Amino acid sequence: MTNQQPEIQSNGPSKGVKGFFKAFRSYFSCVPMLGWLAGILAAVLFERFLGDLIAEALGLPKVPVLFGCMIMLKDLHLMPSALAFLIGVYFIPILLVGRALASVFNALAGMIYKISPMFSVVLHLALLYLVLHLWADISAYRVMTLKFTLVAIMLTLSLNVINGYMGEFSCSHPGFMALGAYAASVFTLVLFTNDRFFGEAVLSPSLGVYFFPVAIIIGGFTAALGALVIAIPSFRTRGDYLAIISLAFMFIVKSLIENLEVVGGPRGLGSQPNYASLPMVFGWTVLCIWVINNFVRSTLGKALNAVRDDESAADAMTVNTRRTKMVGFLFGAFWAGAAGGLFAHILRYVNPASFGLQRLAEILAMVYFGGLNSVHGSIVGAVSISLLGEALRPLELFKWIIIPLLLILVMIFRPTGLIAFKEFDVKQLVRPKN
Amino acid sequence: MKRSLSLIIGCLVIALALSPNAWAWGKAKVIKIGINAPITGDIPKVGEGTKYAAQMWLEDVEAAGGLEIDGKKYKVELVIEDNEAKAESAVKANTKMITQDEVIAIVGPQSSKQAVPAGGVANDWATPMITPWSTNPDSTKDRPYVFRGCFLDPFQGPVVANFITEEFGATKAAVLYDVASDYPKGLAEFFKIAWEKIHGPGSVVAFESFTTKDADFSSQLTKIIQSGAEVIFTPQYYNEVALIVQQAHELGWQKPIVGSDSWGSAETVNLCGPDCYGLFFSSHYAAAGATGSTKAFIDRYEKKYGYVPDDVAALTWDSLGIVQKAIESMGKLTGNIEKDRTAVRNALAKVKDFEGITGKMTFTEDGDPIKCAVIVKINDKGEFEFYKSVCP
Repeated sequence: MTNQQPEIQSNGPSKGVKGFFKAFRSYFSCVPMLGWLAGILAAVLFERFLGDLIAEALGLPKVPVLFGCMIMLKDLHLMPSALAFLIGVYFIPILLVGRALASVFNALAGMIYKISPMFSVVLHLALLYLVLHLWADISAYRVMTLKFTLVAIMLTLSLNVINGYMGEFSCSHPGFMALGAYAASVFTLVLFTNDRFFGEAVLSPSLGVYFFPVAIIIGGFTAALGALVIAIPSFRTRGDYLAIISLAFMFIVKSLIENLEVVGGPRGLGSQPNYASLPMVFGWTVLCIWVINNFVRSTLGKALNAVRDDESAADAMTVNTRRTKMVGFLFGAFWAGAAGGLFAHILRYVNPASFGLQRLAEILAMVYFGGLNSVHGSIVGAVSISLLGEALRPLELFKWIIIPLLLILVMIFRPTGLIAFKEFDVKQLVRPKN
Repeated sequence: MKRSLSLIIGCLVIALALSPNAWAWGKAKVIKIGINAPITGDIPKVGEGTKYAAQMWLEDVEAAGGLEIDGKKYKVELVIEDNEAKAESAVKANTKMITQDEVIAIVGPQSSKQAVPAGGVANDWATPMITPWSTNPDSTKDRPYVFRGCFLDPFQGPVVANFITEEFGATKAAVLYDVASDYPKGLAEFFKIAWEKIHGPGSVVAFESFTTKDADFSSQLTKIIQSGAEVIFTPQYYNEVALIVQQAHELGWQKPIVGSDSWGSAETVNLCGPDCYGLFFSSHYAAAGATGSTKAFIDRYEKKYGYVPDDVAALTWDSLGIVQKAIESMGKLTGNIEKDRTAVRNALAKVKDFEGITGKMTFTEDGDPIKCAVIVKINDKGEFEFYKSVCP
């Protein structure tokens, strides 16, 4: 289960880059999560109040929006300025605040943890939201990128349940996403919006925001219902059938929507109300991570792993393999549908062409890049691929060489992904480090 | 370790001090115009045409010393963003250009699936946007800030139906289209309605469809041939046009095949070869036999990039021309970007009889232009030749 490199354990004299990283790690290992969050908060506040001034002094047109990557790639002359901004505004405050006040935060984290671990988790989450909100508040572009990244996390995690924890290869995630997106869109459009497709709103539009979670849940259940259609025939058998059936399912959903004039056919469905605010998307993502993490750590999650490792053995050990697989698959589909519902309301337009092979490749890349069978991994994979995709945008065509190359390198050096087979223990994460 | 660290910091400081931007304190005011183009993804040729046309336009403006507003010249900068031919990327690119780069107007995205959601963003942020190529009515509908550079399918459908009736005297038509793609499907339906209006119900004897990326059309074509149709209308993109025309000829079809503006790519004839010679399609402009400014544009583009520009490039050029006209006639640049954007939008809505290379344009209430369509014939040299012009 442990994938740690041996050099971390060795205690000999260290030299060169490896030694530098080791010293760096041990120097900062005493900083608790609370300390890091506080450091980031300090950096974000710093950027908020002095960012414009610093950017101007460094000759940057504006505060670098995605850690300076876009500025650097667009104009190489600005590279030193952007790097200086990055180091001055992010690295130094984060490291400084984190390290200098480590003992204070350790004591604080210990105190909060003693009251109740749950309380500590909630407090950390609140702090995390505050940090993200302040960071994104600088520009609408950051908000947009952040929302899509959060949705990507949900999608990756939900696929990881099937491809990682259950060990089957499912290709139908874009289909589930489409079902969720259309179901949620139709729900909000029929009930709360005056639009061309479905006419007058049935209920008062002011109620819409409160019913939005219902729309997302409906999206999730529609996707789960669709998953049932695949699950019944494919889990009667053992082997690779799921991959083929699920791929077919994805195309069926796409053609179905293309031929359904009620929801706009290939022209798509637009003007969804603007309900997917940042707190809403953040809330759903946290809920998704929490529920999936509990699911995979439960008896049923362990049963999933048992089925993956050896189905006959699991069967012999009284695991109801068929039921386990069905539940896991439907559960993954539910969250994909919920993510689709959020996606539709962030983009405020859906069309069947968005849910094709390209989307599938994207989600699969996130899962395998981040790491199978791991919640950490999914978060890392989704965030890094989303941010890379956005940050490398100025490179145009070369972006599509660099990202696949990175994937290949990951596959060569870590075949199961960056952080695979690791348990995500939230309590461990918020504990003081001493 | 310490030495290397201080070395890095030293290098950084020196580079910083030497970088020209560190000294560019008082900057002159620059007008920024955003280009949202599919440079990578499914239709890179479209993105390339957009980018090239935009760069040519920028050259012209720079040669003139910038845009002139109220007697003062302002420098212009283009912000070209890649939307990867994806809806969410187009939305992100628009958001970035509006909030980060502070563009005064946006040209693009080209396809409807990106223009519809991106137009929503532009309208929400009150930023004028012209989509040169999107034919979906939703792109501009109820969006005062969104305009379009091309005519719509409800106009093009009847144009083709009338042309076929007059030119070939046909009464029975067949349609072959991609059911999964929004443009061909919409246009096929508008054509059917227009044709049946002229020749009565049932006069479209075969209405056959396929799905994107299909490459074998023999079963649909056999049905069409057996139906006794006198003409095939196929509003497809260049890659499919070549396959459809060649396969139809192999199956013994000798009657005319007519297309729409999606045929107007440089690639159509390259892929299709002599099979396509002598066929007609409706379009925004014709390259061969063009005169005046249209010819000047085509010659310049061909000399610079090595091929005859397709209609996307021409429409992008015109859209930028309209933006230029609107900016130059907006009165005064206040320096407040929100106010300036609204001023540009108001100036755009007032544009009358703009003489573009794809014809005269005047915007309607919805932001759609009233302009003429052109019927193009692919001549024996494989060039797109002007045949006739059809005005609303």
